Amino acid sequence: MIGTLVVNDIKLFFRNRFFAIVTAIGVVFYLIIYFLLPNQVDENLGMAFFIEDREIPLYQRLIDENDENPGGDYTIFDSEAEMLTALEESGDFFVGLSLPADLSAAAARGEQVELNAYYAPGVPAEAKQIFHDVLVLVANTINPETLASLARFNDTGIVLGNDMTGAPLSMRDRFAPLLLMMIVIIEVFGLATLLNRDVDNGTARALVTGPLRLHQFFVGKALMGMVLAFGQVLLLSAVMGILGTAPLLLLTTLLLGSLLMVGLGFFIAAISKDNTSVMGWAIVFIIPMVFPGFSVVLPGLSTGWIELIPSYFFVDSLHRIINFGAGRADVAGNLALLLLVGAGSMAVGTAAILRKF
Amino acid sequence: MLSVESLAYTYPEGTEAVRGVDFAIEQGEIFGFLGPSGAGKSTTQKVLIRLLRGFQGQITVLGKPLNEWDDSYYEQVGVAFELPNHYQKLTARENLSLFRTLYSGDTRDPAELLEMVGLAEDANTRLSQFSKGMQMRLNFVRALIHQPDLLFLDEPTTGLDPVNGQKIKEILRQQKEEGRTIFLTTHDMTVADQICDRVAFIVDGKITLIDSPRNLRLQHGQRRVRVEYHKDETSSPAQHAEFPLDGLADSDQFLNILRTNRIETIHTQEATLEDIFIQTTGRSLT
Repeated sequence: MIGTLVVNDIKLFFRNRFFAIVTAIGVVFYLIIYFLLPNQVDENLGMAFFIEDREIPLYQRLIDENDENPGGDYTIFDSEAEMLTALEESGDFFVGLSLPADLSAAAARGEQVELNAYYAPGVPAEAKQIFHDVLVLVANTINPETLASLARFNDTGIVLGNDMTGAPLSMRDRFAPLLLMMIVIIEVFGLATLLNRDVDNGTARALVTGPLRLHQFFVGKALMGMVLAFGQVLLLSAVMGILGTAPLLLLTTLLLGSLLMVGLGFFIAAISKDNTSVMGWAIVFIIPMVFPGFSVVLPGLSTGWIELIPSYFFVDSLHRIINFGAGRADVAGNLALLLLVGAGSMAVGTAAILRKF
Repeated sequence: MLSVESLAYTYPEGTEAVRGVDFAIEQGEIFGFLGPSGAGKSTTQKVLIRLLRGFQGQITVLGKPLNEWDDSYYEQVGVAFELPNHYQKLTARENLSLFRTLYSGDTRDPAELLEMVGLAEDANTRLSQFSKGMQMRLNFVRALIHQPDLLFLDEPTTGLDPVNGQKIKEILRQQKEEGRTIFLTTHDMTVADQICDRVAFIVDGKITLIDSPRNLRLQHGQRRVRVEYHKDETSSPAQHAEFPLDGLADSDQFLNILRTNRIETIHTQEATLEDIFIQTTGRSLT
């Protein structure tokens, strides 16, 4: 009986031209976004140099580094004009440094010298300060009396968060969990609309005054929502090529995420009066649910309260499994919380919709 | 078949919708439940079809207390609601087929049911293109799909044209002849008068009267006959006279009117169900 209901609901879903088109476009659109995103990270900090006095040690050091590591971060130009043209037109450089011919002599005499630094528009003040410091250090190396001979720098690398040394996450990798979560969240709208119609049009009442029991009706609706959401994320995952990463764990996460969203769909259906109000309420709930996804794409923007949004446990688990190869133990806490929140969401959603019968 | 004793139902917010209702329906009977909006008709029907639980009193259906019925209850009863409630994106045939698959017992062929109410040609049309009348006919036959012993029908002829209304009434009579029992909720006195074996008037959650329409008409009507006539062939205004039914054949005045005038109408003065309802409850049905 539940199977009949699920099949019927899926038939109804795809007979609704709006849902069918939105679903198809959604999947294709997300895939296009995914494959358009770069799958590699450009770790080069392009720096352009014009060093008029080729006798200074810095010049020789850069030449040596370029010989050892061709295509590296440094490019030396023969004139300042040439460097400026490259800065303006190529877009490969963050900064251009111009060191005048009398730098060495002036520094040796302890006189003031002018060092020209050219930055791309958008380079933050902190980065500019770093390059200023580099220039000062360059000047210091020219004058053996100054800092270079007095200071020793101990560089220590401290890894904050996941150690991504040598394996940085591309935008494509970062977007994958967000896109999967978006598909599941969008289905909340479809489910809520169908359920709202069933209750308001009386078809739900007609069904439960037949042999179908109320709990079977709700199980059928929940399954329909999960089949819709789950089917799409499976398709998306397969095309993205991420299903091979801990498939069982990934599927469990997607299933628990779908459960959370189905409960939300029930709740939205319960508090909505018609299709328009379903859309309104769906937007109210969907937007905050998406926030945690952006904390994966732009981790620097993430703040503590993001973790209070239930979808955080969903997207964070997806992120860890897909991008860091996390195992069961790594995401067990997240999944337990997701199960708890999902079950709570189902309970609240079902109780709310029952009041409309 | 169905017996209700001291039925009372109060909604959770405190509204007393039904206050001690008693009635019994025999197998093969068409029982009309009449009353104005808010009288308790729908609540009583919702209790009987188990949409509302937590009632007070005793209800026995098909020989078993209502509370003791399991899910097989809905294999025995058929329900049609006042407003059409179908899947608008499905065709008429698909709607019936969906409900057909939910029942475990013998069911009727959707095509046969659609034919019965004149919807055979529209079997493959989506419900969104149906008129209200067509949807009501589909509503009605959906309740018959599993050949239930007991039918709960809420305003089955609302929104129907006279021809289709008549068709539904004929089907109801046919169902009765086949031994089915019908609980008909309506405020249409004409329908009740035409097809119900007995009717109950419900007002403010209480039944005020139960009897057959014929008995009610006879008990509450006047045993008189009213004649409308014209004195000559010209277009003179119609005149009327009333005579007691008893001894009518010996009334010279009555016979004289018949012999000497052009008769427009002759009617006995029994009451209509609507008159009786107003007379006994002090309320109208609207």
